[in-house]
Order: sequence, then structure tokens, then C-alpha cells
Amino acid sequence: MGTMGLALPWKARISSMPRERGTRVEPSEHFAGGPSPAVVNALSEDAALAAACRSGDLRAYERLYAMHGARMKNLARNVLGNPIDAEDAVQETFLKVQRSIASFRGQSSFLTWTYRILINTCYDARRSRLRKKEVANDDSEETPRHEPRTPGAHPALRMALERALAKLTQHQRDVFLLYEVEGFRHAEIARMLEMTEAASKNTLFQAKKNLRQMLEPPRSSAAEAR
Amino acid sequence: MNVTCNDRDRIFEDGTLAEWAVLEAHAATCPLCAEELGAWTSLSFAAQELRDYTESPALWPRIERALAEEAERKTLRAESRGWFSFFRNIPLGWQTAAAGAFVLVLTIFAGWFYLHPPRNGQPGDQSLLSSKVLKEVESAETTYVQAIDKLAAEAKPQLDNPATALLANYHEKLLVLDSAIADLRAQAGMNPSNAQLRHQLLAMYQEKQHTLEEVLETKQ
Repeated sequence: MGTMGLALPWKARISSMPRERGTRVEPSEHFAGGPSPAVVNALSEDAALAAACRSGDLRAYERLYAMHGARMKNLARNVLGNPIDAEDAVQETFLKVQRSIASFRGQSSFLTWTYRILINTCYDARRSRLRKKEVANDDSEETPRHEPRTPGAHPALRMALERALAKLTQHQRDVFLLYEVEGFRHAEIARMLEMTEAASKNTLFQAKKNLRQMLEPPRSSAAEAR
Repeated sequence: MNVTCNDRDRIFEDGTLAEWAVLEAHAATCPLCAEELGAWTSLSFAAQELRDYTESPALWPRIERALAEEAERKTLRAESRGWFSFFRNIPLGWQTAAAGAFVLVLTIFAGWFYLHPPRNGQPGDQSLLSSKVLKEVESAETTYVQAIDKLAAEAKPQLDNPATALLANYHEKLLVLDSAIADLRAQAGMNPSNAQLRHQLLAMYQEKQHTLEEVLETKQ
């Protein structure tokens, strides 16, 4: 199985990673038992951070940025397609958190709530961009235009994936990005996107199935690659 | 636990760790499942290419500045609302009562200004009478009415039993005048400062006076 992998249309071939790294199975969703001490600790940290932000302490926002700023920006960038819009969305998210922290009742975790705001802000930015396009009489379909970023180990693979992601439905793209790229659990994604956990799992499954089809090489090139 | 190729999609969607392990074992002997499993896990690996957590040194200072400005605006808004903040602590019933009292005071002031309008340097404008003038008018009117009533009392025997058609006409005319005077007095009672009404009332009294004089002349 080690040589099996995702074959790309231009004959590049990525060896699959060991399954433990490639596919996450969420123990908390399958095994009974109370929350682990690490989870309890994370929850109390989350509540403390929310309380500090509610008190208007700017250092709390700085801590939130230090812990999640890069991840937030990465998510926004993958949704919006360019770093400038992504940075604007992150800044707008922090302002929205500051404005509405008084209404945060702790029904979900503070971080989940913050990411939900980020995702909604990205949706708003995308809609606004679409409206601007319509005003400019540009009929081209709204898909994120990905600008160059720091080169990774497999730039060709990244570009192919970005192109394929742009063809997914919004929900499929968001669930894939949140789960596979940002590493959130289905329970967290469900709260962020206001869906059930089962829907999140199913959407991820559909997204990966579609991506698999889009990234699958034509029969002939697949044979050549072998 | 045993899995077949048919279980593959279900495990991909929501499989447990144990099921994944069994599927892997199955894939070792099933080329189709091995390829699908490889492609599936490769997607997760490929997704890491979209992870770019490089620092943006300018972003936090920008956000911090925006947060500080927003906090300052919030403080200013709170200060501007502070003057009214005591009102929010008062029970709703008292708030309603206070608002009612305020409206009442406004109404009284409006009424007072209506009744006692400020003089604006136009001495010829007598459409509304000041309270002092009004008292003088009312006093003169009372005396005048009393004098007319005396005339009416003198003319009453002739009018109650009119000897001629002319006297009967005078009687009818005086009844109409009395009715008009009663209406005007009622209007003047509601709006005593209205000089126009007073003029009309005076004209009616004068007409009644002349009519009564004519009735008394016919007797002589």
C-alpha cells in the first residue's frame, strides 16, 4: 500500500502517507468515557480567554491571535483565495468578536464561536466580491482566485488541489478545509457550519469522493505512471 | 470483524479505528480496495499542502490598532449614553409616570403660551386679548348686557302680545338675535381671548339694542 497514492493528471505521483497521518479517526466520537484532562484543561483555557476578551483586555485578543491568527488567516486564504482578503477577514473577525463578545453565552466553545464568525465573514466577503463583479457586468463564475503562496513540498499538487477545491460546493469545500487542512473535529465543524456531525462526515466523504474523481488521472496516463 | 469491498465507503465516511485496521488488512489482498484506500489517504496528505502558517508581522499591529480604536469609540458611545443611564435603573412604571408628567408639563406650557402669547411689537394686532384687557371687556359687556336686559324687560309686554305684524316681526328677529348671542357667548366662553368673537358679540348686542329701541318707539 505504501506505493499507492493519488496520481495527478500530469503524471506526478504522491506516495500515500501512513494511514495514521493521512486519515484521522476521532476517538472521542467512538469511545465512551468522560473528557480527558487535556480536554478539560482546554475548555477552562477557552473559558478564561473568553472572559478576558469580554473584559476588554487587548492582551487577551493578542493571545487569541498568537494561538489562532495564522490558522485563521490560512483558512480565510483558502476560502477567499488571496492573502489580502484573508487578512481583512481576520481583522474583521477580531472586531466582530470584540463587538459581540457580550452576547457570547458559552453555549459552544469560544474558539468554535470565533471560527464561525470568521467563516461567516469570509462568506460575506465572497458575496460582496460577487456583487461587485455583477455591478462590473462580469459574468464569470465566482471561484476563489488563488494567488501564489510560500512554495510547499509539492506545489503542483497544491495547485491541482486548489483548482479541484474551487469546483466543489461551498459546504464540501469548507468541510474539507476545516477537517483535512485545519484539523478540526467533526463536532467542532458541525457547530461552526451549523450542521449535524453526521452531515459533516457525509459532506467530507462527498468532497473527497469528488476530489478523487477530479484528480484521478486519465486511464492511459495512469497506466503510464504505473 | 470482517469487512468486504462493500464496506469501504461506509468506513471512509464514518469508520472506527478498528474498522480502518481491518480494511487495511483486507486491502493487502484486494488491489481495488488498496488503490482506493491509497487515493483516499493521499488526499488527506495532499491537503497539508494547503497549510501555510507563515507569520504576517504587520497583521497583529493592524488588528490591535483597529481593536483599540473600536474600544475608544465604544467608550465614547457609553459616555454619551451615560447621562441617560440613571433612567434605565428606574422601574418601568415610574418611567411611564415621569414621561406622562413631562407631557403634562409641556401641555400646560403650550396652553399658557397659547393663552398668553408674547407681544411681538405689533400693537395693531388685537386678534387675541391680553388678560387685563379681557377683564375690562368682560366687565363692560356685563354692564351693557344688563342695560339691554332692562330694555328687553320694558319691551316684553308688547312683544309677548304683538298688536301688529311689525311687532311680530320684531319678536321673531329678537328670538333669532338671542339664539345667535347664546351661540357666540358659548364660543367666547371657550375662547375668551378671541377679540373677533367679542366684536361679533358686540354687533349682536347692538342690533338687539336697536331692535328693542324700535319696539319701544312703536309704543310711543
